[in-house]
Amino acid sequence: MNAASSRLAPNPLTLAVVRNKLKAISEEMVETMTRTCFSPILNQNQDFSAVLLDAEIRTVAQAERVPIHMGAMPLAVRMMADAFRGDLAEGDVLMANDPFWGGSHLPDVTLAMPFFHAGEIAFWVALRAHQGDIGGISAGGYSAAAREIWQEGLRLPPVKLVDGGRLRKDILRLVATNSRKPEDLEGDLLAQLAAVRIGHARLSELFTRYRGEEVAGCVQAMLDGGEAVMRAMLAGCREGRHSGLSHMEFAQAPGGLLPIPVTVTIDNGRAVVDLTECPDQVAAFINSPFANTRAAVMVAFLYFSGDDQGLNDGSARAIEIRTRKGSLLDPVSPAPVGACTSSTACALIEALLQALEGADPARAIGGFARRFRFALAGQDRGGRPFIWHYFFNKGGTGGNAEHDGWANIGGLHNPGGTPSPSVERTEAAYPLLVEEYSLLTDSGGAGTRRGGLGGRLRLRYVGDRPAVLNASGEGVLVPPFASQGGTAGPGHAYSVEHGDGCIDRLGVHDSGVAIEPGATIVCISAGGGGHGDPANRPRDAVRRDVAYGYVSEGAARTVYDWQVEATGKT
Amino acid sequence: MMVGIDVGGTFTDLVVAHPELGLRFVKSPSTPDDPSRGVLDALELLAADLGRPLGEVLADIELFIHGTTVATNILVQRRGAKLGLITTAGFRDLLELREGSRDNRYALRVAAPEPIIARPLRREIGERTGFDGAALLPLDRDDTRRAIEDLRAAGVNGVVVCLLHAHRNPEHERAVRELIEAAGWSPFVSLSHEILNREGEYDRLSTASVNAYVGPGLQTYLNRLFGRLTEQGIRVPVLVMQSHGGVLPVEDAGRLAVGAVTSGPAGGAKAGAMFARALGLPRLVTYDTGGTTTDVCIVNDGVPAERDRTDLADMRITAPAIEVNPLGIGGGSIAWIDPAGILEIGPQSAGAVPGPACFGKGGTRATLTDANLVLGLLPETGFLGGRFQLDLEQARAAVNRDVAEPLGLSIEEAAWAIHVLASSRITEGIRLATVRRGLDPREFAMMSFGGAGGLHANEVARDLQIPSVIIPRFASVLSALGFLAADVRRDRQRTVNAPINSLSAHDLETIFKDLANEAHAAMSSSVAGQGDGETWTDRVAECRYERQIHTLPIPTKAGDTPFDLERRFTETYGELYQHSHPGEPAIVETCRVSVYSPLPKLDLPRYPVEPGADAARALCGKRRIHIGREVQAPVYRFEYLVAGMTIAGPALIDAASTSVLVLEGSLASIDETGSLRISDQPA
Repeated sequence: MNAASSRLAPNPLTLAVVRNKLKAISEEMVETMTRTCFSPILNQNQDFSAVLLDAEIRTVAQAERVPIHMGAMPLAVRMMADAFRGDLAEGDVLMANDPFWGGSHLPDVTLAMPFFHAGEIAFWVALRAHQGDIGGISAGGYSAAAREIWQEGLRLPPVKLVDGGRLRKDILRLVATNSRKPEDLEGDLLAQLAAVRIGHARLSELFTRYRGEEVAGCVQAMLDGGEAVMRAMLAGCREGRHSGLSHMEFAQAPGGLLPIPVTVTIDNGRAVVDLTECPDQVAAFINSPFANTRAAVMVAFLYFSGDDQGLNDGSARAIEIRTRKGSLLDPVSPAPVGACTSSTACALIEALLQALEGADPARAIGGFARRFRFALAGQDRGGRPFIWHYFFNKGGTGGNAEHDGWANIGGLHNPGGTPSPSVERTEAAYPLLVEEYSLLTDSGGAGTRRGGLGGRLRLRYVGDRPAVLNASGEGVLVPPFASQGGTAGPGHAYSVEHGDGCIDRLGVHDSGVAIEPGATIVCISAGGGGHGDPANRPRDAVRRDVAYGYVSEGAARTVYDWQVEATGKT
Repeated sequence: MMVGIDVGGTFTDLVVAHPELGLRFVKSPSTPDDPSRGVLDALELLAADLGRPLGEVLADIELFIHGTTVATNILVQRRGAKLGLITTAGFRDLLELREGSRDNRYALRVAAPEPIIARPLRREIGERTGFDGAALLPLDRDDTRRAIEDLRAAGVNGVVVCLLHAHRNPEHERAVRELIEAAGWSPFVSLSHEILNREGEYDRLSTASVNAYVGPGLQTYLNRLFGRLTEQGIRVPVLVMQSHGGVLPVEDAGRLAVGAVTSGPAGGAKAGAMFARALGLPRLVTYDTGGTTTDVCIVNDGVPAERDRTDLADMRITAPAIEVNPLGIGGGSIAWIDPAGILEIGPQSAGAVPGPACFGKGGTRATLTDANLVLGLLPETGFLGGRFQLDLEQARAAVNRDVAEPLGLSIEEAAWAIHVLASSRITEGIRLATVRRGLDPREFAMMSFGGAGGLHANEVARDLQIPSVIIPRFASVLSALGFLAADVRRDRQRTVNAPINSLSAHDLETIFKDLANEAHAAMSSSVAGQGDGETWTDRVAECRYERQIHTLPIPTKAGDTPFDLERRFTETYGELYQHSHPGEPAIVETCRVSVYSPLPKLDLPRYPVEPGADAARALCGKRRIHIGREVQAPVYRFEYLVAGMTIAGPALIDAASTSVLVLEGSLASIDETGSLRISDQPA
């Protein structure tokens, strides 16, 4: 669409209603997806997000179920549009997942459908969903063993899944055949297709009610508004260069740690995020393609501002991101990228939150427990093979100026987004016995506002034959950071207690660990980082911490300078 | 004489179906400090209306159904019992661990919810049951006795007992209760398997905790109410409205207190269902716009849609309930300009206090009600015969300051923008509620009630392409009216968790029969003699594919074989999701029954049609209104309208506590139930 000349300054009524409609359309898309998707990862976790983008491929409305999807989608759709420039028609639906074509990691498959008005593309409707399996060397797509992107699964540069309204069954078959769960993948892609078509149909209704230039005027005003919100937030920050540093756990790096240094320069209501100092890309799955890096940056600013309402791609205009090609945060093919949406995103968000703390200390947040999961493969009670994924005990979140952190919410990439399964279901379905699942005293980072507690989970393997454990995650060497003079939370500590009494610590990338029948996996999850000087913690809060066993009396005395009161206890 | 009484935040509504006088209603101010007083006040008003002493009126009541938000308020305001927990060693923190989830993933600076059982009062005992019900560790009775004594000493008045796998083997939970009784202590006790007999420790624990938390308070209230009513001469049991739309007698309602926690909107949905049956509407969507929220319910084939899980006030309540889709929009919703410079409405609400600016009770911010008053859509004389005067100048000042000036609009333009945005919100909320169930809103009729609904109904229906809007004559007391459509209901369920094809027809029949017998046994104790009909039983098997989490409720009937069940599951799944999975085993996870004992039912009064009746008889004036432009609209009184009259929009219809806007191009008429019907004028 060409231009300011054809835009109208929107009527405030039309603007309010059109914004409400666009938001509702994106919500209806995710509802449609929720109702029709098949695989457990999608229908249980809602690991998908819908967006509406304008003619210039800027996100105007979104229904997010996963924060890390959002900032990445416009890049993916832009690459898809570029790939088919001049070759797009009414009824086409494009599909892609390739990280080097604007994607994140390979399981995240994006469908995008252009919406034509008066012969030109006026909107894009897109939905990204995390597919359960897209091939590659390990089921589910997170493989620490991958050295090249091809080992992570099927790469899809932009292709037409629907050509002029006709579903390309050949393409569908090709994609499904490359999955370990072809039926799931096919069912979920068709659900995605149904969802983008609903979005498209609703846009048609919108365009019959409002003239094209009216809608374009509203879109412009929404983007301008999003920019204004972000600029107002930045205008309240200290100007100048603020730096942050976090680390990723990577055995091949010196000291086992890979630094993620960032700077954020704030000047006149704008922010320049410089990521060029981060290390070169590595031959492991922790590289983050640019789209994912951009998404993580947007998530960090969103968390920092605390306002998820006024934000859209207009907000992004106030933020410039500088990366270096070939680096961990802007890698080139064939870098593997499987862990980018979780591990790398978390580390980057942490570094940015630390930098932003310097820009506006009042908004500072202590660090969150990182994601440390494992899969256990063996034989179930019926002698059939099983793979069980550890989703419990996610660890604490950081304190902030107003409140203590939460317990058991976990990683910054999707805090509290995926519920844990029930203990009873787990025991009924797998040869496992959960012996304990509880909060851990003294595990929250100390502060005026304490970090949320970590937990302890004891999991006994009660199968007949040895099982194999593969770990994947972060957060053993790097604990949740503190803010404003608080204390860092303790890191994760997982171990295996063997039947003979020997205890082995479990590393974040250990694989092929044999678990004999009777062995117990003990998972101690990280507590969140504390915020502010512990000496300033309100005495009532310390008293309650002790009474509730969140903090031991000893720690209360040494860390919080607490004098034991006569409690009437004998 | 049948009486339904609904205690709301502002008013206590009473509907009576009188054998000679027909349907009448009374509204009386609620008395939140002791709601039973407001109930008595309403009954006094009824007695005065009938010109008889209260005692005689009470003695004549054959059916008394009461709806209360006492339990809801206790939970929401966190004023419940001091609770103790007795649980399996290693698991005292489950309520606080919250399954590792939370609602808002972006607002990282909010406080964690305060668990309703303080950590020092959560006691672990030695015992363990396995997934198959086997006792892996016997119950440590000494441990348990110590825990009981500690909780007693701490002054606990509600005890929650939740042990792992108690749904497979409840022996240990029962033994704990026996030990509590043996100690000569009688706190309010909730055993998790009795409150929710199925797999999922968090759901059982949370639901049982809510039960014990609200139970003592609800019991106290109901006992006081029942005592007063008995004293004054009532002879029938007091029946209490439940979240699922059935009723329970006072004593059961107190024990199963969690069953009433989301009962607020149940009456309205039951009334919607009653109208849907009377009017032969296969699909009806109801929406009730109050001061703060709009509740959307769906009625299929005359039965309100249910769900089995509600998240309320940071707690999980797993109990059957009429499905309510709440929208954050009501008459008190505040209009504001958001940081992006765009008009927004809600979710903040001025509520009843301080209320909209036009209430003159201290509210100053522009609300939807203020906008509707500015537009001339509400009468300045207000409602309830002038008991609520509205202050137009305050409304204009608020709309001007909060919306018109910042956006550069006239006051009327600003008010219209607020009005239209509110309609758009309701529209999209209804659309999502239907889409969530895989239904198309165009197949629905729509019913609007509640104070603020009628001014938006016509626009909402047009936008959704819903052909017909129904606004019942008793819209202001619809919830109390709906109570008179209820039956006594008891539910029972059991986890089965087996492939459907591993069960025999005999297995399936035995499970359902046992459950129905349990439910019957629980019922007969209390409500004998209330209904005259036969009881009936609804059977539902919750089924899923093996690898899926979510189940689908599959209705079954006596004589259905597992083969029938599997076929119906596959069909239902296919209809909903447009695909099926032939290779995937189908599991029956839970079997549940609802046993109903019928109560006398209200027959909706039929209004005779007067062919050719002239609506001019109901005309009571004209108002200048702004609906995007200025119009002189005729104003009719709802109570003077009779079946056979037709009104062409634009027009306003004023009722006791609501106004209805009929748009240009629409026709309003009165149907045989006396309800207002709005539909598009034939082209």
